[in-house]
Amino acid sequence: MKRDALPNQPRPLQIGEPIPRADAPAKVAGREHYAVDYYAEDMLWAGVKRADIPHAVFRGINSEEAEKVPGVLAILTAKDIKGSNRQGVARKDQPVLVDDRIRHRGDGVALVIAETREALREAIGKITVEAEPLPGVFDMEEALKEDAPWIHEDHPGSNILLKGHITKGDGATAFETCTHVVKATFELPYQEHAYLETEAGWAITEEDETVSITVSTQTPFRDKMEVAGALGLPMDKVRIIAPYCGGAFGGKDGITVQSLLALAALRFSGRPIKMWWEREESFIASAKRHQARCRYRLGADATGRFIALEAEILYDTGAYDHLGGAVMALGLEHAGGPYRIPHTDLKAWAVYTNNPVGGAFRAFGVAQATAAMEQMVDRIAEKVGRSPLEIRRLNAVRRGDTTPIGVTLTTSTGIGRCLEIAERHPFWRKRESWKAKAGPFRKRGVGVAAVMHGMGYGPVIPDTANAKIELTSEGSFRVACGVVDMGQGNAHTFLQMAGDILSQDLSRLELVLPDTAWTLPSGSASASRTTYTYGNALIDAANLLKERILKRCADLWMVTDPKELALVPGRVRHLPSGRETTLAEVAAFMDETERTTVAHYRAPQSPQLPDLEPNLRLHGIPHVVFSYGVHIAGIEVDLLTGAVTVEHYLAVNDCGNILNPQLFEQQVQGGIAQGLGYALMEEIPVTEGEMKTVNFSTYLLPTFLDVPDMEVIDAGGNEPTGPYGLKGIGEIPTSGPLPAVANALFDACGIRLERFPMTPERVLSALEGNRP
Amino acid sequence: MKVLLPEILEMLWEVWEQNPGAEVYTGGTDLLVKLREGVTWPPALICLERINALRQIWEEEDTVVIGAGTPHTALIRHPLIQVEFPVLVEALKVLGSPPIRNMGTLGGNIATASPAGDSLPALYVLNAEIVLTDAKGSRTLPIHEFITGPGQTGLGPREIITGIRLKKTAPYTVSRYEKVGKRKAMAIAVASLATCLRLSPDGRIESARLAWGSAGPAIVTSPEIETAMSGQPLTPELLRGLIPAVEREVSPIDDIRATAVYRRKVAANLFLRLSGISEGGASA
Ligand SMILES: Cc1cc2nc3c(=O)[nH]c(=O)nc-3n(C[C@H](O)[C@H](O)[C@H](O)COP(=O)(O)OP(=O)(O)OC[C@H]3O[C@@H](n4cnc5c(N)ncnc54)[C@H](O)[C@@H]3O)c2cc1C
Repeated sequence: MKRDALPNQPRPLQIGEPIPRADAPAKVAGREHYAVDYYAEDMLWAGVKRADIPHAVFRGINSEEAEKVPGVLAILTAKDIKGSNRQGVARKDQPVLVDDRIRHRGDGVALVIAETREALREAIGKITVEAEPLPGVFDMEEALKEDAPWIHEDHPGSNILLKGHITKGDGATAFETCTHVVKATFELPYQEHAYLETEAGWAITEEDETVSITVSTQTPFRDKMEVAGALGLPMDKVRIIAPYCGGAFGGKDGITVQSLLALAALRFSGRPIKMWWEREESFIASAKRHQARCRYRLGADATGRFIALEAEILYDTGAYDHLGGAVMALGLEHAGGPYRIPHTDLKAWAVYTNNPVGGAFRAFGVAQATAAMEQMVDRIAEKVGRSPLEIRRLNAVRRGDTTPIGVTLTTSTGIGRCLEIAERHPFWRKRESWKAKAGPFRKRGVGVAAVMHGMGYGPVIPDTANAKIELTSEGSFRVACGVVDMGQGNAHTFLQMAGDILSQDLSRLELVLPDTAWTLPSGSASASRTTYTYGNALIDAANLLKERILKRCADLWMVTDPKELALVPGRVRHLPSGRETTLAEVAAFMDETERTTVAHYRAPQSPQLPDLEPNLRLHGIPHVVFSYGVHIAGIEVDLLTGAVTVEHYLAVNDCGNILNPQLFEQQVQGGIAQGLGYALMEEIPVTEGEMKTVNFSTYLLPTFLDVPDMEVIDAGGNEPTGPYGLKGIGEIPTSGPLPAVANALFDACGIRLERFPMTPERVLSALEGNRP
Repeated sequence: MKVLLPEILEMLWEVWEQNPGAEVYTGGTDLLVKLREGVTWPPALICLERINALRQIWEEEDTVVIGAGTPHTALIRHPLIQVEFPVLVEALKVLGSPPIRNMGTLGGNIATASPAGDSLPALYVLNAEIVLTDAKGSRTLPIHEFITGPGQTGLGPREIITGIRLKKTAPYTVSRYEKVGKRKAMAIAVASLATCLRLSPDGRIESARLAWGSAGPAIVTSPEIETAMSGQPLTPELLRGLIPAVEREVSPIDDIRATAVYRRKVAANLFLRLSGISEGGASA
């Protein structure tokens, strides 16, 4: 019987089903209201004057001409800020508006509030900056020198924001025992998050003096603290509302427009005020993926078993911390990839410069480290004469092994299985015949990368979530979700979890998006922890509510064992008799407080490496749960132009159990597309701190034609600590494409680049035998 | 800003007279970029999109006349253009993206006169003639005379391009447009080459027309190379022998998209690729 053919049969959401995401129709039809979509009659516009000087002592602004622009209501500076005027997650080193020093071109020096956007633009254009230029630091190596200009005078020591050094076994001395040693340097570019919705939001000061800020953010609860601190407001007078985010990828992990909006709203109490960065402003002022320089040395024995690894990774964090320390730490933890390496010597630095700010970006420092490490593995494989998958299988970590920083793996470890699946895949097995079919002036190659990514905040910062679910008087369920959905689809997954537990279809499930006044603190949408942490809390809350409903019904119906009752869509059923009642009726018998349950979850934290430098632990090392994957790229190189076309792409993933195959595939494919952009075209040339590409006419992202069909395979993992066995999937796919394509380029043409991305010009130049 | 929408040419001259500082546009795909950048900010805009006469394609004896306001998509789909001028169709197929091709027009691409304009190398090898019209009447100029430099044309004040005339007679047996951009769509050409060749049954080049885009301040053509090719068999050796000549003829620039060194190299390499033109990947 074809059950699905029955019309209008409510079908409860179930875990494991490829259900189209609930947020899709409104988004596709343009009905979804993002933070940027707010307009009102009496709305004011706020905007920022940017310094456009890389390094200087700030003396003030001249705003005489700007004040004369009709429609300009106020021009505020740091002097109007009552609080600390400092923002930041780890180190609070970034001013809302510059008060002493300009540290990069994107620094804001004044906030303009105007009646219209036109007046705003005109006024901003008329403000001039008074400053005494200081020598700038634009190269990481320069920044480390003793006599380099000091960018943060209050930061002890130097321009090193944070450094880490971890050794394992005999460290670098073990290279003496290696048969094969390879060495290389990699220069990785900036990458722009390039979300569709640039930084935006609106704010209003309510009658009770609460400043309500509706904003495109990944971090509503942290924003609340940051705004309150920076502006000197009581915590309970700041409210953050976070609608669906029009893309973030880490770029909204931290303050963008929030404090500026609040500052404006405080000045014009009762009037809504909007801020919306233009694309160019978004490029200039927002954080990017850190540009990085990686120096690697990898040694193996005669059979290809890894013996020693030495790595030095420099991350350019630009003018401010902006999670740069944490990015560096995660990169350091993953510097050696998913391999058993007995002896390591790993160093990393996050360095202040007067360049654009480096910050959180999907794959958070790991993308850079993986880019380097996976190309090293390929180099060793070639020297030893083993296939890229073979060498990885030989060295891949298993549960119980220690990682390159010495952490014993105690949770699900599926890299081995991913490698086996990849090795059996027809594309891998038939690669030689596929390669032989390249046309004239073209060559084909196949490349591999293995990836690994830790989940959550690490051993010190509590990685927690608080779920709240309510049975409404109408008999539907309202899930109050305190963690943002920035487009990755976790909000839908939460509904799917609640629907599965409560046996309800989508029409009976409501979602409340993050609002610090209604939903509960659940951390950031970041660190591959969103669904894992909040999902675990939600399962408990939903089960609690289910139990409460069934018990109450059992009382009403004088049934001894609540197990005789079950939830069905919209109703409760007594299974032996078939008797039913609606959930609305059940709700009527319950007090309002009873109809809501809450649950708290804290992710496991590692007790390992207790001797690690406390600051590194604070910045997130080590992790407990890791996801794994293997990527294979099949590329064709045009020998006449240097253009690389990715023809085939395959990703095998151990991300635990898959709750919704559609969402899983979307996450992996999106990550690969973003990774291919990083591999092939995305970069921001910067001279003297000035970006040469500030919009999408010169900063190129892959189009549909640049991305191949991507085959996404689930290796069938299960992580017992995860909700329904899942592990994080958000970040890990982004790390694979660059090294997979780079290794394919070597396979095709025998060339290896030092500088990325692999643009046609760089490839052609290398094909001609020039230094990479 | 005022936007005026005349529906016939007579109305255009009238509204232009009344709004002397106005700028015209058709699809707006170049103009809107300039407006956003503040490169131009005229008191009024006149949109040519609704003037039907500018969107026709017709034949006059041995010539096809394309209305300047014809969007690229319409040209790509037009049977007459497909049969007679495959090199133009190939070029337009790689211009921008589907929405850009739906809005952008041939007249707009010519008037913009960018050395990277994708229709231009094709129009050069086809010896296109540009029909220019103002309130008083029309005149016709060969495309290479109309375009005088990067972004510069011989367009008179209050004059527009009304049509593009292409002779059907060119009996080329193979043609190709190859564009090198930094990605596979929505990319400005870093170098391009339009080619039409008449090959004899035994593989000899009877006549050749070549035009490089993004290889100099204007589209680059070379009678010297074309002459050297004629009468010769199309072989890799012939092409390789002419590479120094190609490298001499082109004079590309450095910019954010590519270096001059790369452009010069690729301009030559695209020429080298012609050795396979009669086998695959070419439309005949
Ligand atoms: C995202 C994007 C991608 C693009 N990609 C490409 C590409 O790959 N290749 C490429 O070649 N171009 C590209 N372009 C540029 C543009 O789409 C083309 O040049 C297009 O053909 C312009 O036509 P239009 O009708 O839109 O011109 P408009 O913007 O309407 O006009 C452009 C200029 O021509 C003038 N003009 C227009 N029509 C006439 C006329 N009939 N007579 C006299 N003057 C006229 C206008 O005054 C204006 O100065 C791209 C543009 C965008 C926005």
